[in-house]
Amino acid sequence: MRIKEIINDLQDYYLLALQGLAGMFTRPFYFRDAIEQMDYAGAGSFPIIILVALFIGMALSLQLSAEFGRLGLKMYTGKAVGITVIREIGPVMAALVFTGRVGAGMASELGSMVLGHQVDSLRVFGVDPVKKLVTPRLISSIIMLPVLTVIGDALSVFGAYYIVVFVSNQSGHLYWQSIRDVLIFENIIAGSVKPFIFGFLIASISCYSGLMTRGGAAGLRKSTTNAVVLSIISIIISDFALTRILLYILGFSV
Amino acid sequence: MIIFDHVGFSYNKRSVLKDTSFLIDYNERVAILGGSGEGKTTILKLILGLLKPDSGRIMVDGEDITIKTESELRDVRMKFSMVFQEGALFDSLNVKENVAFCLREYTKLSEEELDRRVRELLRVVGVEHALDLMPDELSGGMHRRVAIARSLAAFDPAMFLYDEPTSGLDPVNADTICRLIIDLSRDNKGFIIVTHKVYDAMRVAGRFVFLREGTVIFDGNREMLEQATVPEIQIFMRELQAAK
Repeated sequence: MRIKEIINDLQDYYLLALQGLAGMFTRPFYFRDAIEQMDYAGAGSFPIIILVALFIGMALSLQLSAEFGRLGLKMYTGKAVGITVIREIGPVMAALVFTGRVGAGMASELGSMVLGHQVDSLRVFGVDPVKKLVTPRLISSIIMLPVLTVIGDALSVFGAYYIVVFVSNQSGHLYWQSIRDVLIFENIIAGSVKPFIFGFLIASISCYSGLMTRGGAAGLRKSTTNAVVLSIISIIISDFALTRILLYILGFSV
Repeated sequence: MIIFDHVGFSYNKRSVLKDTSFLIDYNERVAILGGSGEGKTTILKLILGLLKPDSGRIMVDGEDITIKTESELRDVRMKFSMVFQEGALFDSLNVKENVAFCLREYTKLSEEELDRRVRELLRVVGVEHALDLMPDELSGGMHRRVAIARSLAAFDPAMFLYDEPTSGLDPVNADTICRLIIDLSRDNKGFIIVTHKVYDAMRVAGRFVFLREGTVIFDGNREMLEQATVPEIQIFMRELQAAK
């Protein structure tokens, strides 16, 4: 019985995600809603991304400097930080922050709209709730998460620079040279494809959880928790799959 | 005309409606009475196609709406004007934008025309002064009145559907809503009001349907209701006698 429910849920989720995507290409277009969502998801997440990315970059740099120092390879700190941040930590870190702030917000907002009969009101007025509510959120996540990831990457690199130069007493010039060396097409593609996929997953899972809310405050808590937990799991699993695929496509040997 | 033909509906394996049948004309003033959880609101949602029954047919103007798709149901829904319990206003929009919602969606009115139309509708329900307020700044009565104004802006409905429009309201606000419901039905437009407040139902309706455990146990006019011998109905009628 439980397996049947899971299959039903998956089927409903795929249907909602596809309808949400299809809504981007068919009338009516809800530009205003998409802009509002982009403001909430993008501009609203900016301060937290700055803070998290800066400290992640600094912590990563500290760890790598300490370890490389023991091996006499301190000069590789910049290169290691650059590759790790651009290819892996930057996209995943931004996606996790985005899930906590935006994904949870989407699920709870849509959930409370369901419980307050606002979604039913839309249907009564002949408005498709998927086009009105889900599509703008998908658009905002698919656009804003990559933007936040790039900003986060840059800040992590700056945070690492501070540690490398002022704590580890290495050459700043050498650090920037190492960063320039890792900013090659393959690394940039490897790091910039992921946020688009993560953005889609976070928004679609969160919207689905929100719209499936039943049963008052407890139901709202459950759907918000589900949105965050399922988004995190899907980010981590898809990150592994994407890394494997991208490394293969871009010709890296493992 | 709405026909419920042996309709059954269950939610989470709990039977809400059992073999329910009735017929309602668009110009009738019907009150659906019953205790909490007896399936009153479910009936309104079934009429609008927001829920699908497990068994039976629901006919609106001779068409079985239970087999219609979401896009086909749009035309059915435009025949009704629904006011949900507690209003169901969009809480991210202010009063003006809530009322203007359908006007923006379906018309190409200029901002000036839209503003004029919204003010006109808010004047009808007596809350013109609330134009710029957000839903959480409104009292319960204002909430319902704005919801009624929003439903009027939608389309030219054949019938109004009210879900517990006076529940949780003080007598003064409840009286205002009842008067509004009567006023709006003057042009031979009927309504279905779902309520457990028999006093309000008696004020506005001419036909009464009483539900118990998902089954219609009474369907008749005011005189028949007052003389009904069913114990549950008599308990409800005591509220009316107390009010008198």
